[in-house]
Amino acid sequence: METKVKSIEDVVFGEELPVYLPDTSLKKSAEFASLVGWEGARFSNHEKAKEEGLAGAMMPGILNQAYFSAMIHRWAPNSTLLSIDTIFRAPVIADQEYSMQATVTDIDEDQRIIEIDLIMSNQKKETRVLGTARIGL
Amino acid sequence: MILDLHTHSIKSDDGRAKVENYCQWIRAKEIPIDGFVLTEHRQFDTSSDYSTLARKYDLLILKGSEVETEYGHVLIFGVSETLTKRIDFTRVDLPLKDVLELSLACDAIAVPCHPGRPKVGMFAHTDRLGLPEGVEIVETRNGGSRDDEDQIALRNAALHKYRGIGGSDSHIVSHIGRCATKFTREISSMKALVKELKIGNFEAVSFK
Repeated sequence: METKVKSIEDVVFGEELPVYLPDTSLKKSAEFASLVGWEGARFSNHEKAKEEGLAGAMMPGILNQAYFSAMIHRWAPNSTLLSIDTIFRAPVIADQEYSMQATVTDIDEDQRIIEIDLIMSNQKKETRVLGTARIGL
Repeated sequence: MILDLHTHSIKSDDGRAKVENYCQWIRAKEIPIDGFVLTEHRQFDTSSDYSTLARKYDLLILKGSEVETEYGHVLIFGVSETLTKRIDFTRVDLPLKDVLELSLACDAIAVPCHPGRPKVGMFAHTDRLGLPEGVEIVETRNGGSRDDEDQIALRNAALHKYRGIGGSDSHIVSHIGRCATKFTREISSMKALVKELKIGNFEAVSFK
């Protein structure tokens, strides 16, 4: 069973959060896109997405951010996500396997704020999304 | 001596790393580099002084720049006030020829970076624009590039007899030191770095 972080005193600089394996199925991508009002085929149909010049249907960016949020809250359930800031280096294609890594890179005990590096990589270990999150704890 | 010659801090528009966190990370994770060069996008950072951090963490911290040309992105080492007056660093369409020549004229050196990448890499443009004159060094190991993009860089550098440097191209803390450049001599200043780059006593290394 994973250890849950309860306070900032539990956190160590350089600590790696447990790796998170997001559900990148086309079904999930399409459901989420529909839920937030993005009805375009680029999130729900590989063939039509390819006609738009993409490598396939892609995961909505905010869904990937939501997965990062879930990853952080699994690690530190009491934390408050202050900001999440991502740079999409390449589309995250649905129905392909990705993993999410996160590492603590700054601890401000006075402000009780932690910064975390975020990386989403494909099976070749290529970074597709990177960014940072700031959390209060 | 091993230096990461290509890093970005929060001074760059897409950089998310604070310089002190880079230093902490290098020491905490025992990253095998002795220092790094901050190469902020389209600017030369004259305002920041990292000497206190350099002493605190026993690291060499130098400042360069990454500018944009018709052949893609280019690192400049040895940026001076004179050079910033002769090149508008903010432009995204600088002529590579001018960047190379003016850098040399101002005791600096310009190095096309991640040349194997599409759009922003030099070799993506050589078919259309021809091989540029005056290039001596390219970044053959880039921490942000895919392996196949580094292979394009390595293959073309060998073909055209360019020497290769390495840099992480880090934008977040945990990416620093993924690639770097190994020098045969000790370096303690930007002037010394430029001199060693011109002499050619170095090789690109990867810790990916």
